Amino acid sequence: MIRVENIKKYFPIKDGFFNNKSGDVKAVENVSFEIPEGEILGLVGESGSGKSTLGRAIIRLIEPTQGNIFYKNKNITKLSDSEMRKLRKDFQIIFQDPYASLDPRKKIYDIISQGLKVHEKMDKNSINQKVEEIIQDVGLQKEHLNRYPHEFSGGQRQRIGIARALVLNPKFIIADEPVSALDVTIQAQILNLILELKKKYSLTILFISHDLSVINQIADRVMVMYLGHIVEVANTSNLFSNPQHPYTRSLIETAPQIFRKNKKKTLLKGDIPSPINPPSGCVFRTRCPNPGIDCKGGNIEMGLIEVEPGHWVDQCCANCN
Amino acid sequence: MNSENLLSIKNLKTHFTVGESVVKAVDGVSFNLEAGKTFAIVGESGSGKSITALSIMGLLPNNLAQTERGEILFDNKNLIDLEENEMRKIRGNRISMIFQEPMTSLNPVYDLSFQISETIILHQKKSKEQARKIAIEMLDLVGIPEPQKRIDSYPHELSGGMRQRAMIAMALSCNPKILIADEPTTALDVTIQAQIIDLMQELQKKLGMSIIFITHDLGVVSEISDHVMVMYLGNVMEIAETSELFNNPLHSYTKSLIDIAPQISDEKREIKVLRGEIPSPTNPPSGCVFRTRCPNPGIGCKGGDIEMGLIEAKPGHWVDRCCYECNQT
Repeated sequence: MIRVENIKKYFPIKDGFFNNKSGDVKAVENVSFEIPEGEILGLVGESGSGKSTLGRAIIRLIEPTQGNIFYKNKNITKLSDSEMRKLRKDFQIIFQDPYASLDPRKKIYDIISQGLKVHEKMDKNSINQKVEEIIQDVGLQKEHLNRYPHEFSGGQRQRIGIARALVLNPKFIIADEPVSALDVTIQAQILNLILELKKKYSLTILFISHDLSVINQIADRVMVMYLGHIVEVANTSNLFSNPQHPYTRSLIETAPQIFRKNKKKTLLKGDIPSPINPPSGCVFRTRCPNPGIDCKGGNIEMGLIEVEPGHWVDQCCANCN
Repeated sequence: MNSENLLSIKNLKTHFTVGESVVKAVDGVSFNLEAGKTFAIVGESGSGKSITALSIMGLLPNNLAQTERGEILFDNKNLIDLEENEMRKIRGNRISMIFQEPMTSLNPVYDLSFQISETIILHQKKSKEQARKIAIEMLDLVGIPEPQKRIDSYPHELSGGMRQRAMIAMALSCNPKILIADEPTTALDVTIQAQIIDLMQELQKKLGMSIIFITHDLGVVSEISDHVMVMYLGNVMEIAETSELFNNPLHSYTKSLIDIAPQISDEKREIKVLRGEIPSPTNPPSGCVFRTRCPNPGIGCKGGDIEMGLIEAKPGHWVDRCCYECNQT
């Protein structure tokens, strides 16, 4: 469905009187992956790892600096704005913060129907019908359409956000931390709703989260991202039962669990480095529990190799281990 | 009363008057905090966890909040009855608090030296120079590298994890008996969260303070606490030792929370759901407050004659009476 090749996104830093470029924030570095139709691909990483930038670059809400994006085998990287606009209804985003992502001055009906008015030439009745259908699909009622966002709780607002994303019958959804701002009980309701709707609308989803246990519940396959690089990709059960990269391992061990099987915890030292000036060699080496001597070298290139079918790990770490 | 109890809270009620209506944010909370132990308060947003903490600290505005009846016993004194100037001697000195958002709880216009020294000068009657020295030692204690240099940093120059460490340094600078931590790791990344939890446990061993740890994350509770209190809509649902609570939950709400907590497992599990949302505290359900979301509410739960209240089901394991009796039959 979606294929991404060597995508890169640098944000220039401009400084001084003449706005001279003084450096780059290297948010996404040479990332390639595919999402087959009907899959939920989890993307996990800390803040600053580039998850959201990658998500937005895929659908060209942010123009990638380099690389190619294919949608249904068609290269969409170079499409003009007007051509891209026609494709937009196939791609939708569900945002993290249900308070900030709904216009407080619009009624729910207007929020949900706006996409239909822009993209579809539909008469009023069929728009009404469609909006009423979708609001019930996400577990709210028709009566809610005449209200404003402030009248709803966080969980209900997230349902409205989902309704807005689904009303155009999109093919590909980017869910950017959709449950991070919600209470656990509401989180479970929304995750379940996403799974239900995924079946009903046959969606393909890129699910971005910093929470491994959420990813574990919902994703078919997981990509782990660190400082702009993908460091490990595998299907969900493989990744959690047999993590290869020390970063993945530490993430799994330090995720707080009620019933922990393995008491061993490898704490990572320090913070994620600045993407303006990432470490030479392996980007993870400054926090690695046991870095090799070679990891520092300038000749190290980040890149994935396949260690077992479908399970890819950064080559430096794969060799190091 | 157990002699080991450092802090003992009995039937604490904090109500807010908003216009005509009364919001019962905390409605009859009782618990004991033992010396050197960690007591976790867990619940959804709106359950009254933070208001409980702020009531203990006496940080709620008098004109809005009424702490009715109830007792907060610390050092043989009822903190509710204390005058503001007496409370000020305890707050930040004997009982101190750290908050969720380390960015907003540090003052952006002062450097760390000023902010940490302030408490030390005030409570310990030290000179500026001595206080600065203690502040540097505190930064070292909480694992901030190069404390001599960092002491002159402003909050915006530190990462989220470092800021939370600085907050902890400030809170512990007067060697308090009790540290109240209100969701101290919620705003942090998992790897940093693990570092901060590790640090708090280490400091507790070293300094011997008791911790009241407020969180919504049951995973964090099981890592850090000795006892847990589950709150819902201003009421206590269950109190028990941590392992007892997780292995043998008696309240339907606790059971649901444990069931739906996302857990890492090798195979895919079905996602379990607790229906509905926490009701508004201005208009709580009659009878048992949890009945509107209870997976199998009894007929009796709705009745007006039901009073919320804990009974001791087993030694040290307290549960709300209504639910316990309901589950027994």
